[in-house]
Amino acid sequence: MKTTTTTLVLFTAVFALVSCSSKTVEKPVMEGTLETVDMGHHPPTVKLADPEQNAGHIGRKPRRISVAQLRESILTTTGRQWSQINNLAATLGQADYALTVSESTEVNLVFAKFLEDGAREVCLATATADLNKAAPDRVLYPDVTVTNRDFTMMSDDAIKANLAYLAIRFWGQPFSDAERDSWASTFKTVAARAKTINKPEQAWGAMCIAFMTDPRFATY
Amino acid sequence: MSNHSGKSSLQRRTFLKAASAFAGTSIFGGVSFKAFAQQAQALAPADHCFVFAYFSGGWDQLLNLDPRDPTEFTPERISETRILPGYSLLSQDPSYPTMPIRPQGSNIAFGPAVGRFANHFDVMSVVRGINMNTVAHEVGFRYFLTGKEPNGSAARASSTATEVVGQLYPRMANKPPVPNLAFNIESYNDRYGGYANALRVSSANDLLLTLAPGPTALDSEIEKQLIDMRGQPVSCEAQLYDSRGLVTQYQDARKQVRTVLDATLDRYFRFDSTTGDPMAVAMEKSATVARYGLRVGNNGLPNDPRNSSAARAALVATALKKGVSQCVSINMAGGLDTHFGTQLTQANNQRQGWNALGDLISDFKESDHPSGGKWIDHVTILVFSEFSRTPLINAAGGRDHHITNSCAVVGKGVKHNHVFGASGNVGMSAGVVNYDTGLPDPKGFQYLPDHVVATIMASAGLDYSIMRVEPLKGLQG
Repeated sequence: MKTTTTTLVLFTAVFALVSCSSKTVEKPVMEGTLETVDMGHHPPTVKLADPEQNAGHIGRKPRRISVAQLRESILTTTGRQWSQINNLAATLGQADYALTVSESTEVNLVFAKFLEDGAREVCLATATADLNKAAPDRVLYPDVTVTNRDFTMMSDDAIKANLAYLAIRFWGQPFSDAERDSWASTFKTVAARAKTINKPEQAWGAMCIAFMTDPRFATY
Repeated sequence: MSNHSGKSSLQRRTFLKAASAFAGTSIFGGVSFKAFAQQAQALAPADHCFVFAYFSGGWDQLLNLDPRDPTEFTPERISETRILPGYSLLSQDPSYPTMPIRPQGSNIAFGPAVGRFANHFDVMSVVRGINMNTVAHEVGFRYFLTGKEPNGSAARASSTATEVVGQLYPRMANKPPVPNLAFNIESYNDRYGGYANALRVSSANDLLLTLAPGPTALDSEIEKQLIDMRGQPVSCEAQLYDSRGLVTQYQDARKQVRTVLDATLDRYFRFDSTTGDPMAVAMEKSATVARYGLRVGNNGLPNDPRNSSAARAALVATALKKGVSQCVSINMAGGLDTHFGTQLTQANNQRQGWNALGDLISDFKESDHPSGGKWIDHVTILVFSEFSRTPLINAAGGRDHHITNSCAVVGKGVKHNHVFGASGNVGMSAGVVNYDTGLPDPKGFQYLPDHVVATIMASAGLDYSIMRVEPLKGLQG
């Protein structure tokens, strides 16, 4: 019985390694992906800590962004500010050093709720403004050729390239292929619906909301 | 460098993926995130809830919790007693009694302004003769709010509500979405995580912002796509990034948002309208509106459904009963700093708050708590003000600040139909009582807000060591 259990555990571990390691395929560099720039300085490779000796963790503990970081992040990524951020700053955790003496970076219901509200306001405003801008000036899809505000006409490659661009813009990190394909599939459904209801701003606006409310935007 | 870096990146990625296999269970690629993210808990009321009701400005305790018999404390004896009840000055309004009230069966005498609150003598203790050590508004207020004497005027500890939530919230199975709600009142947090921070609202509208969907809506089909996308599988890297649970915590918070929004809790707090409410909700709200005497259209009047003492009491009841909050701190009544006002002004402003509290307690007495018994068996209410007003009336017809205070503690954890302590019969000086009995004792000790707060915390089974005083045995239920 013990042997069977051990074999099962080993098999499971090997299966996990294979399933997690099977996606390391070299791929062509696409627009929006990160490329390393050689700065002439070659530091020694530092091995990461063994997660087994670190309670299953690697690196420092992730944190939620502070209100000041959120304010800057929204402005940097969309070019506009959420109108309520100062009104809700205390509720989102900003210390006033009178009543609250430390910045709260807890991820709780109130933060999640108001981040969602903020993302909706800012993203839909940005997407609406983008509809009337020429390609290079757009925030959410600067390199996309749009005909008659119809995003269902976009090719798969164009959608994926723009999603990759947005991932870098909002998160500072690229998509994995599988995740990008999944988001692209969602975008196609959303774009079709946006066309049906004649609200083209909701196509990339909805994706912007998804990027802004993703944990990769709200934590670091 | 490119090659070196690329190799390093590949090694790191491979290592992360391999490491994720060691990181724990259920992290295989392709398994739905939903499989190991906690399900959002359905909203359920906390087993022990707390209300901190504040009367701002410094109340006249002769009119509420520490009355005196005007036939004994007459104007002729002022030089001897230094106390003038002044109840005859309320005679312009015949609804005010001119003698202290003692409902049948009550061991507690009340002043003329307590209104319907006096009907609930059977579930409360009154503490008299508390030494506030201050006659400054912000100092006294913060002292009672935190149970610690401020440094200058700066609060020196967490609010009691924060302390309660800080200790109880991590152990709760059903975590309320807004555990600590502070309505038009300060709140402090000096040693707990953000989960214990109060959601500070200055009006019911602020609370509705949290409970209602945002003003910018997406098409419902697109909305559904976004929700579905959030439940998709995540990569090995993402799983490892979440090994300390922050992302899961965030996802849980978002699920909780969805639970709150789906429950359309905001409807229950919109006392001024039933438009669009389902029949059951409309009926429940109508019952609340009737119980608290709210009248739609009475803007700015005592029964204003949006911002009156009555509406605040209704808000407290709704927040606790719907499982939105565990602790609610609320500014119940104001306009009490009557240096130049009349006795009638003080009494009118107080009575709004007391009547609203009386209705709240009636509601708690009559409503069943989901875990058994009535709500009053599951809630503790502290009613306080920053200090009291002088026992003598000043030259302007008002009363100034007085250092001796009183408070009421209602519900779970304290003795019922009971008076702890007493103020002096000369100038209402701070009481000196026996520690165990609470009866006046010249060899006893003076008690402070610290003792009252420590008693409330001890009665709830919480750690009160931060108070650095022992609870009042003669007050504990």
